[in-house]
Amino acid sequence: MDYFLNQLINGLELGSLYALVALGYTLIYGILELLNFAHGDVFMVGAFLAAGVAALFVHNEIAAIPGGLVVVLMLLVAIGGAGVLGVGIERVAYRPLRNANRLAPLITAIGVSLFLENAVFVWVSPASVLVPTHALVSQGVLRAGVVETPLTGLMLFGGSLGLMIALDLFVFRTRFGSAMRATAQDREAATFMGIDVDRVIMVTFFLASALAGFGGVLYGLRYASVDFFMGYGLGIKAFTAAVIGGIGNIRGAMVGGLLLGVLESLSGGFISTQFQDTFVFLALIVVLLVRPQGLFGQPVTDRA
Amino acid sequence: MSGQPTAFEGETGHALKRFWESGPSGWNRTLTRPVVLVPFFVVAALVPLILQYVEDNSSWIGAQYWTLILATCAMYACLAVALNLVVGYAGLLNLGFIAFFGIGSYAYALVASDQIHQHFPLWAALLVVIVVTLAFALLVGVPALRLRGDYLAIVTLAFGLIMTNLILDLDRPPVLAGHQFGPDGLNITNGTNGLHNVAPFSLPTSLPVLGAIPHYRMYYWIFVGFLALSIFCMLRWRHTRTGRAWVAIRDDELAARAMGVNVFKYRLLAFCTSAVMAGIVGMIDAALVFNAYPENFAVQQTVQVFVMAILGGLGSLPGAILGAIAFTIPPYVLQQFVFYKYLIISVVLVVVMVLRPEGLLGTVSLRPRKVLGGTVELLTAESEEAEGHPVDKADAAEIEAVTGEILTPEQKL
Repeated sequence: MDYFLNQLINGLELGSLYALVALGYTLIYGILELLNFAHGDVFMVGAFLAAGVAALFVHNEIAAIPGGLVVVLMLLVAIGGAGVLGVGIERVAYRPLRNANRLAPLITAIGVSLFLENAVFVWVSPASVLVPTHALVSQGVLRAGVVETPLTGLMLFGGSLGLMIALDLFVFRTRFGSAMRATAQDREAATFMGIDVDRVIMVTFFLASALAGFGGVLYGLRYASVDFFMGYGLGIKAFTAAVIGGIGNIRGAMVGGLLLGVLESLSGGFISTQFQDTFVFLALIVVLLVRPQGLFGQPVTDRA
Repeated sequence: MSGQPTAFEGETGHALKRFWESGPSGWNRTLTRPVVLVPFFVVAALVPLILQYVEDNSSWIGAQYWTLILATCAMYACLAVALNLVVGYAGLLNLGFIAFFGIGSYAYALVASDQIHQHFPLWAALLVVIVVTLAFALLVGVPALRLRGDYLAIVTLAFGLIMTNLILDLDRPPVLAGHQFGPDGLNITNGTNGLHNVAPFSLPTSLPVLGAIPHYRMYYWIFVGFLALSIFCMLRWRHTRTGRAWVAIRDDELAARAMGVNVFKYRLLAFCTSAVMAGIVGMIDAALVFNAYPENFAVQQTVQVFVMAILGGLGSLPGAILGAIAFTIPPYVLQQFVFYKYLIISVVLVVVMVLRPEGLLGTVSLRPRKVLGGTVELLTAESEEAEGHPVDKADAAEIEAVTGEILTPEQKL
């Protein structure tokens, strides 16, 4: 039972990370019907930006800046950097192809993903980079009865949850959020209502990528190591989460992310760590076959 | 653009001028004529002999090395042609494509090495490879092809990842929930090391006229032969009922369905054919390099083959060969850039897609459609495009009727 609870907590932490990244997939898919394959790599770039800031302040000992302040700086740089990167990707690789055959932006998305991975591989580091998390945040372990988890894990969970709630409020309670939802429903009609669709798409990309950047910072703090390939596997799992929840559905992505994290953690803990990832991808295939619209999605109309 | 009526003006000009003015789809048509293809393959088959001749009569050594490079090049051309079938003809984004290449190489390696102590004759090994790749293709294809385009991409990607995991992990008996399946010594795939000492094909190593055939040259010829065979089949196939059905589905699934085309059947056919082709190429590769590596499943490889097919032009067979040459030879010549290989590939992929989506010789235009003036466009073309639908043929005819403007083929697609 103890083991089960601890695996469950691990799964929820991991799942909240998946949910953060899954939100990005879902936001962009909701608005553009585009699978942004590069999204996982935006997460990776965010994590590297944060690792860079951390290394700058911790290793160089520029000044006795308290760890908390460095973390705030990391968050600012990673969120801003990832957000700008996302907007740039949209401008360069997706906007020129907005009315093209669906195949075209999918292919550029793969190209952008490969570019980001290799740019980091070639120009930053081919090996994994350590994040000096011990110098930044408390490495204490929180115990509640039999359950124990590092504080950084709790940060990851709490931070993700907070951001998800903020995003939900933004999309469902603000004026701009309703413009986003209108664009997602019918881009044409949204234009007639005076909505600047280009701006909505830009902001969506910024938000989605900023969430990924935030996830990147917390990932670095929790797992203490980042590498150029991390966005690939995590991106696919997050995408899986988005599909499980129903792609295009924001609350679905959150639930899907948590579910997938728990599934991965429990199947790793109880069935086989060897085939942990295989189970995750099998879950994706099974969900797509049994319920392609996901748990909370609208039934999918059959389109080419 | 290719749709411009240049054909009429060019009638009087020089043949080369006419060729130049015929545009990409015209170039494609010219380059797939037997008059061009037969000499091309004859020259391609003679190249290793020429290299050997040059080596024998000068101080240059490197005939073997360059034959190997050319064999690699021919291998990628075969893969690009196979990918072209599934993406260019049938419009299916199969991101797990390279996994079938890997499956083929492992299937052959298992029945032609000491890993499980099997040494099948060539015909039996070929049969095994075909059956195994076909089985996997059906396993993925039957459920996945019922899904929408985007989801197909993601299911095939997930399939590729599962295969990679299995290849890496099946060097020991699988343990599920504390229960071990199989004996302790079970080792099917040999994990990260891959399968070694794979036997080459048991073919005669010397022929009456040609004399002894070095290893690389033989496999170069096998690849070129396979390439010629696949191109011949593709060209014949393109104009059959099946080929027309593929193009119809790619261009407008709904319209094809309405015409009574069994969309699922033809998609599955394209998917499986392409997978089996990739599997056979994988088998030849395993025999060429005596190994089957887990890297055969790397997703970068898929992207690399995609770039070749797209740079050459989707739907274009000469384009696939051109793309394979363009991405195989330069890395060997410009050794210092090998580190940047995938960086360059990714940039080329994005730039080609954005600036010239139909590639060099493409017959499929993925280009954004031009917006016409007037209200008709708002009711038909534009609103359909916003949904990601291609413009229906009927709509196109309606626009033509109303605006009096003749649409180019790309706009009709």
